[in-house]
Amino acid sequence: MLEFDGLHKSYGDDHVLDGVGFTVAAGSMFGFCGANGAGKTTTMRIAMGLVRPDAGEVRWQGRALDDDARRRIGYMPEERGLYPKMRVGEQLAYFARLHGLDAAAAGRAADEWTGRLGLGDRRRDAVEKLSLGNQQRVQLAAALVGRPEVLILDEPFSGLDPVGVDALAEALLEQVRAGVPVVFSSHQLDLVERLCDSVGILARGRMVASGPVPDLRQREAGRLLRVVVPDAPPGWAGGLPGVRVVAQQGGDTLLELDADADDQQVLAAGLRTGPVTHFARREPSLVELFREAVADEGAQVAA
Amino acid sequence: MTTAMTSGRAPRTPGSAALVRLVAAREAGTRLRDRNFLISSAFILLLLVGVLVFQIVLNSGSDQTRIGVPTDDVRVAAALEVQSRALGIDLVVERYADEEAARAALAEGAVEGVLVGGRGREPALLVESGATPSLLTVAQGAVASIVVGDQLAAAGVQPQPVPDVVVRALDPQVDAGDERLVVALIGTALLYGLLVLFGQFIAQGVVEEKSSRVVELLLVTMRPWQLLAGKIIGLGALGLGQILVVAVLGVAGALVFDLVDVPGDLVGTVVAVVLWFVLGYAFYAAVFAVAGSLVSRQEDLGSVLTPTTLLLVAAFIVAFQAAADPAGAMATVTSFTPGLSPLVMPVRSAAGQAAGWEVALSVAIMLVAIAAVVRVGGRIYAGALLRTSGRTRLREALRAERA
Repeated sequence: MLEFDGLHKSYGDDHVLDGVGFTVAAGSMFGFCGANGAGKTTTMRIAMGLVRPDAGEVRWQGRALDDDARRRIGYMPEERGLYPKMRVGEQLAYFARLHGLDAAAAGRAADEWTGRLGLGDRRRDAVEKLSLGNQQRVQLAAALVGRPEVLILDEPFSGLDPVGVDALAEALLEQVRAGVPVVFSSHQLDLVERLCDSVGILARGRMVASGPVPDLRQREAGRLLRVVVPDAPPGWAGGLPGVRVVAQQGGDTLLELDADADDQQVLAAGLRTGPVTHFARREPSLVELFREAVADEGAQVAA
Repeated sequence: MTTAMTSGRAPRTPGSAALVRLVAAREAGTRLRDRNFLISSAFILLLLVGVLVFQIVLNSGSDQTRIGVPTDDVRVAAALEVQSRALGIDLVVERYADEEAARAALAEGAVEGVLVGGRGREPALLVESGATPSLLTVAQGAVASIVVGDQLAAAGVQPQPVPDVVVRALDPQVDAGDERLVVALIGTALLYGLLVLFGQFIAQGVVEEKSSRVVELLLVTMRPWQLLAGKIIGLGALGLGQILVVAVLGVAGALVFDLVDVPGDLVGTVVAVVLWFVLGYAFYAAVFAVAGSLVSRQEDLGSVLTPTTLLLVAAFIVAFQAAADPAGAMATVTSFTPGLSPLVMPVRSAAGQAAGWEVALSVAIMLVAIAAVVRVGGRIYAGALLRTSGRTRLREALRAERA
């Protein structure tokens, strides 16, 4: 189990992290979402020992991460970094050795990962000669080549074409199946939704939601009701108890219901205006959960 | 479970020595394939070969004189050799069966002159057109000594062997050090060139890691000081290798072609230069690395390297000044100043103006300075490495170490 516990970090008056905590089970994938500047990168850099937290710690298997434990983590920094003039194969073997593999094993690991990420014929090329997408693959290979026990990846999918996204996703799922906990941040919420067992949403340095995706959905589910009533006048549902109109376009109405509101009352009200062509509870997408969470946080801050 | 992931032994935690060695090997390996490095190395070697060839040409075209003598009087040849030794003239005496043969040799230019006239004959120096002063002097002296000997014998005087004059130099270091001084200056020039070159390599390497952001990936696996030590040791080994190659080739060349009078002095001076290279390199490598860590782009490197480069240039100039006045206050003070001493002290001691304790003191001061630079510099380096925006101020870096 990988635990992020109560992380605080300020730069002067700027509270970048304000008690960030979440856990990632072994063999599960955790998606880390949040607006730009929410503190995702700082959180990951704290885990990697690149930033010192003001408070809190990151634990792996119950023990706070130290230099030796960090060497067992595969890391992909937000700002990609490779030696531009070094050859792909040699570079990967070098990183593997820094992570503790012996020379022979490092060479094999470099060959293996270049092959699996479709870089087999670029091993002898300098990194700077590769396209950005391919450099990205090398960067990922650098995170994987040291046989990590944990993967922490900052925006690993950004800049990849769909084929690259699939190759990366497959590689990550394989790691998860091997028992490696994977944490990655991404703005591509559909991808997070598709790949991750659980997600965390970070806003202004605070975790505003975290947990398995179905749980989060459950929490929000039942709140949203979409009703299509073509002949209804604007504000037809406004007076109903426990109902809030989120949006109305023509007769297409999105309503948010309180827990004790009666949806049958809404249906009856709709039928009074004419035919009801659509009436259904809606499961929120991760995008909506994200917007919701971030908006709530914003409202709290504003209030 | 993937088979590939679990194959092989589990990774082990590499110790500090292993990490430093890995970094050092990468640095050296990268440079050995770098065209600029290879070109500069070739240039230094060419320069050395050039100096050697120049010296050989200068020496061989020198004042060697060949004189022919007919063997009808053995005393002439012997007297010539004694005279040439006494006068310090490099003379080769060719013996010919008779005067005819000697004249023939003169005609074809094998000898510059022929000394004829033994017993009872007027001595004559036969030349093609004119006699060089050394030829004339040595011939004159030889004839004089024979004649004086003859006359003394005729007068019944048994000449006692003349005692050799003992040379007692009042200021033995004035001239004796000349050759060593030249060697020390060549060594200093080489040292200066290598320090500038390798200092640049170090600084460029540091900036490359910062500008490419690869440093973040490196610092996940090692501490800043391990990275710094690996860089300095790796490139230092290359630099030391280079100066050793030059030293060995230079000394071997000088000995083989007989360019120096006192090989022991030459070797001593060269060893001193090599040892001072190690000290100077350790000092400047740390300073250059720290300077490099303050900027994030190669374009900004010039501005932070200028102070250090200027210090090196100053040291170089002072070293030459010290060669002219090795006993002066300037040379004395600078030979103890950390940063300047690696270039000045070899010159001063080659000139014979530095006592053993002075060299030891200067080395000690330099070692203390290196320790200080590595300690403070290591902190600055660690603090500045992850600040990849623009230029970092020294104070900021000192405060920010892994904040």
